[in-house]
Amino acid sequence: MDQKQQNILLLAIALVLMVASWAILWPPQKQITQGLDIQGGLSVILTAQETTTSPVTASVMDRAELIVRNRVDRLGVREASIQRQGNDSLLVQIPGIKNAQEALAVLGSTGQLEFVDVQSITDTATVAALAAADKNVKLKPGTYEPFMTGEVVRNAAVQQNPTTGEIEVTLTMNSAGTKTWADYTAANIGKQVAIVLDGTVQSAPVVQSAIPDGQTAISGSFTAETAKQLKTVLETGSLPVSLEFSESRVVGPTLGQDSLRQGVLAVAIGLALVALYVLIFYRGLGLLTVGSLIIFASFFLGILALLSRAGFFALTLPGIAGIVLTIGLAADSSILILERFIEEVRMGKTIRSAANSGSRHGMYTSIDADIVTFVSAAVLYFVAIGPVRGFALTLMIGIVCDIVMMVLFKRPALVLLGESAIGKAPAFWGVPKERAAVTGSKPQKGGVAGV
Amino acid sequence: MSRFNIDFLGHRNIMFAISGVLLVVSIAALLLPSFGLHFGIEFQGGTSISVVNSGDVSIEQMRAAFAAAGVQNANIQTTDTQGVKGFIIRTEVTNPDEAAASAQKVAAAVKLPNDTFLVTTIGPGWGKNITNRALLALGLSIAAILLYISVRFEYKMSITAVVALVHDILITLGIYALLGAEVTPNTIAALLTILGYSLYDTVVVFHRMKENSQHLVKQSFMQMANESINEVLMRSINTTVSSLIPVLVMLFFGGETLKDFALALSIGLLVGAYSSIGVATPLYAMWKESEPKYAALKKKYANA
Repeated sequence: MDQKQQNILLLAIALVLMVASWAILWPPQKQITQGLDIQGGLSVILTAQETTTSPVTASVMDRAELIVRNRVDRLGVREASIQRQGNDSLLVQIPGIKNAQEALAVLGSTGQLEFVDVQSITDTATVAALAAADKNVKLKPGTYEPFMTGEVVRNAAVQQNPTTGEIEVTLTMNSAGTKTWADYTAANIGKQVAIVLDGTVQSAPVVQSAIPDGQTAISGSFTAETAKQLKTVLETGSLPVSLEFSESRVVGPTLGQDSLRQGVLAVAIGLALVALYVLIFYRGLGLLTVGSLIIFASFFLGILALLSRAGFFALTLPGIAGIVLTIGLAADSSILILERFIEEVRMGKTIRSAANSGSRHGMYTSIDADIVTFVSAAVLYFVAIGPVRGFALTLMIGIVCDIVMMVLFKRPALVLLGESAIGKAPAFWGVPKERAAVTGSKPQKGGVAGV
Repeated sequence: MSRFNIDFLGHRNIMFAISGVLLVVSIAALLLPSFGLHFGIEFQGGTSISVVNSGDVSIEQMRAAFAAAGVQNANIQTTDTQGVKGFIIRTEVTNPDEAAASAQKVAAAVKLPNDTFLVTTIGPGWGKNITNRALLALGLSIAAILLYISVRFEYKMSITAVVALVHDILITLGIYALLGAEVTPNTIAALLTILGYSLYDTVVVFHRMKENSQHLVKQSFMQMANESINEVLMRSINTTVSSLIPVLVMLFFGGETLKDFALALSIGLLVGAYSSIGVATPLYAMWKESEPKYAALKKKYANA
């Protein structure tokens, strides 16, 4: 394959990628996932508070995540996501939630686990409700007094009873808990004890026998699922650290959509003005730049849609800022290539050879510049925390797309045009006339410099 | 598209004077108690409430609503994005529950729907975390870029590039202090990205000087450096303009978050483009002229 065929092939690949991008991309508002700051909802970061006696370890964070998941489930919302942030924090995102205040109250609840003697509850309606259903009953504050709190729980597990085959939840307690529990169970055989999390009864088993050693098994008609839930509840009590809000964002959906509209408008106006600038400045070659900007933008958005589809990407407002900056960078790389080309023509090369070598040198310079910016963006992405990572992410993706399109489109297109089209109408293309006499002779002063 | 022939380096003392004045003003603005940097709630903890589409609700009504909701020391500013009026309110509340509740009360009081509010609350400890990470990112990214320049070029370039970079950072922050603009994590992110990008402008001039110095005869290093600037000037102007256009559009048409980025990006771009010609190149050329080889050329040709 000669060089010309190779360039035509590269252009063909670029065009196919552009068409494919639009196929994936359309309609963009559906295909590109919107971040929480655009679609509205609640986003909080909960951080485990380390104490001198209880360090935040990986297993503590595992348990904390379970507890938070449990709280999110209690809100009855779908599509909530929980992610680790660093070593000690959890990012919880709940899109489209209506009652942010209730959600904040539940998510920020202290995780207070209590054991309550049902007989001691002063509100008779609650007692009656508990006789009927042994879970999800809310206790009124002040109508009950726990005889023991969740701190005594050492661990909890789900197992199958070896003799009956029934699923049961077992728990072990520390020494203080074992003693209180032994006294209580010995005195209350046949009575109901309520396991209460943040004021809601999670389970209310009947004491079958005295438990002197803290080794307790709770049985009942558990499914694997409900048993696991109870296990999590019991573990809550044993979480040695507290979870506190580090960050909370409540985004009204209208506000998010307004911001999106402003952002898209800014991107569109920015693109149009850059296009106008290069057209005025570079004439025919500017046209080439506009074409490469369009192909670049299509490919970039197509990649974002593809990543959205795979669940790796959501567009946030800082992400839009990254896109805007990337437009400038993509225009830059075109300008670098054109300037180098024009300079080489001016130094006496033929248009044809200047297109070839100028575009190659210009491309290397652009890639150098792109790498410098990419390094900054990558450092930001991996080191910083918070929404700025969205800016770094779109910037990185955009830079990669720019490099791809330089190789596939910007350079081959210029080389092909340089073969004859530009030479026929240099004025239209905004290129100085060839200095035919100098072709192939000694290099001009200053030589062919690096940029 | 004619070639330039501007005697930048012959006027380097003027450029140094400009930079000197800018630096003095910037440092003064950063240190004087009446200016100084305003850090966003992300760094120190607190709540920011953005309201858009607030129609004809006045700032007095807003202030009264916050007072009635029991929020102390609310700092209320109006915003205007593409003609859409809004507010940004900053308070010292660090409990998200309380912040969301007060925002609801205020929304009800000024008769605006809940869904036009954005309530961000940052806990006090988290701010320190964000600040440390942002500074670490800034440091690492500058270190990585300088390492790259040292490896690819020479240490004298690297050091003059650092001087230009510190110059850029101080002036950008000084402008923030003078404008009273808020420094947010977005500001830091934009700054570190754009400075890395602008540094490349400097590298391009350096690269050209390196090439041109290889057959340097009948000319002083300073004259050659000036020619190098002129050779890449068109390219520098055009890349700066083409990056600046979308960023300025974002500054004028974007909402609050985008403006945050855009302000730092535009100042950083302009200062960075200036410093590669006004600071980095003259310093580097002066340093090179102290080398015996170039000192001889200087003696011979400097006044030619």
